[in-house]
Amino acid sequence: MLLPKFDYHEPSTLEDALQLLHEMGGNAKLIAGGTDLLVRMKQKIDKPSHVISLARVPGLDEIVPRNGHAVSVGAAASADAISRHELLNDRFAPLALAASRLGSPLIRNRATIGGNLVNGRPAADLPPACMVLEATAKLKSSTAEREVSLNEFFRGPGETVIEPNELMVSIDIETPAAWSGGAYLKLGARKTLEISMVNVAVMLTLKSADGDIADARIAFGAVAPMPVRGFAAEDMLKGEKPSADLFARAGELSVGMCSPITDHRGTMEYRCMMIEVLTKRALGEAYERARAWKP
Amino acid sequence: MKTLIELTINGRKVESAVAPNQTLLQFLREDQGLTGSKHGCGLGDCGACTVILDNKPVNSCLVLAVQANGGEVLTIEGLAENGKLHPIQQAFVDKGSIQCGFCTPGMILSAKTLLDDNPRPTELEIRTAISGNLCRCTGYQKIVEAVQAAADAIEGTEVS
Repeated sequence: MLLPKFDYHEPSTLEDALQLLHEMGGNAKLIAGGTDLLVRMKQKIDKPSHVISLARVPGLDEIVPRNGHAVSVGAAASADAISRHELLNDRFAPLALAASRLGSPLIRNRATIGGNLVNGRPAADLPPACMVLEATAKLKSSTAEREVSLNEFFRGPGETVIEPNELMVSIDIETPAAWSGGAYLKLGARKTLEISMVNVAVMLTLKSADGDIADARIAFGAVAPMPVRGFAAEDMLKGEKPSADLFARAGELSVGMCSPITDHRGTMEYRCMMIEVLTKRALGEAYERARAWKP
Repeated sequence: MKTLIELTINGRKVESAVAPNQTLLQFLREDQGLTGSKHGCGLGDCGACTVILDNKPVNSCLVLAVQANGGEVLTIEGLAENGKLHPIQQAFVDKGSIQCGFCTPGMILSAKTLLDDNPRPTELEIRTAISGNLCRCTGYQKIVEAVQAAADAIEGTEVS
């Protein structure tokens, strides 16, 4: 499979990259890992006349603790680096777990968090994880900078709020409160190189090790035109005493917040059943992690 | 317009002019004559094109040749030393882990990266490490056995 022709640019500073993006706008695509873009170009879905590489822009792939209580993940950090990162595994489990399930080991060595988010695919692994962690994306253009919550970032299949002249610089996340734990579950026909039939990310915060639920966040992928939050189930969980029954009821409620379709990966009916089961299991896993929380 | 790139392939410095839309796989096979890396699906699903780029296995069909500029590439051709097969290659031969051989270069390079990081992997770790490499004829069992045997062989040479 051959790639169409294009001009290749390799700016060595963020300013130069933003300037190129400003000049070329809709005719240019940014390339970081390339595991989505090059596939779409080979399939002639994307036909940019210019490709701007982020490989030489310094610092874009760094994962750095910030202000002592937050982390900043560079948009070009690879899924592999995220899945192995100690702090992310410890405090931001849904993100590290979701990154460990993306594609295959070969894909994870190239694929980046920024690419996974800006492509806006409804079944992508990282969006639900970023949503339950209430992450914000820093978007820059040659003239402006803004921060957008990942909960308000997705607009539809392949559509996000990012403008053609904007570049995602980093994903910033506040450290979850004490007694928090998270989980990420992905269902497909196999374990690797799979696009989710349903995926669920969960973040649960307890009042103490044996206390009631202080806060709950649930997000789903592959069950609607874009990743969605399960607000009704979240509200129902808050203030309640954790139990298997409660988690099962949250699973039932979650089905109502999703609008899955039938396609070659699974039927609408099966997806609804799996939303219920996966939500319950993910809450159970997150609860165990929250109870085992250590300062 | 072609771009001049400089990279190291199997320990050898190479300088060459490449077109922007040339993949690393095309560059290796067509310009460098290194046909050990295979062209399978071309979309990152099969792993036949696996090469090690800067110590990480990647799908070379999804890397532009220009992106490998300044990098260090190891292909299956660079594994044997002085005509002697690498222990992983030898284990694949000994264990009958090769039938058609199309997935073998990718399997061996994924296995090599695993054993470099983790000399005593569990069966699950081996299966995970080669999970991006599809085999359609040998079956995975013999391949997993070969990687285990290679781990033993490598450990044996280091102790003595």
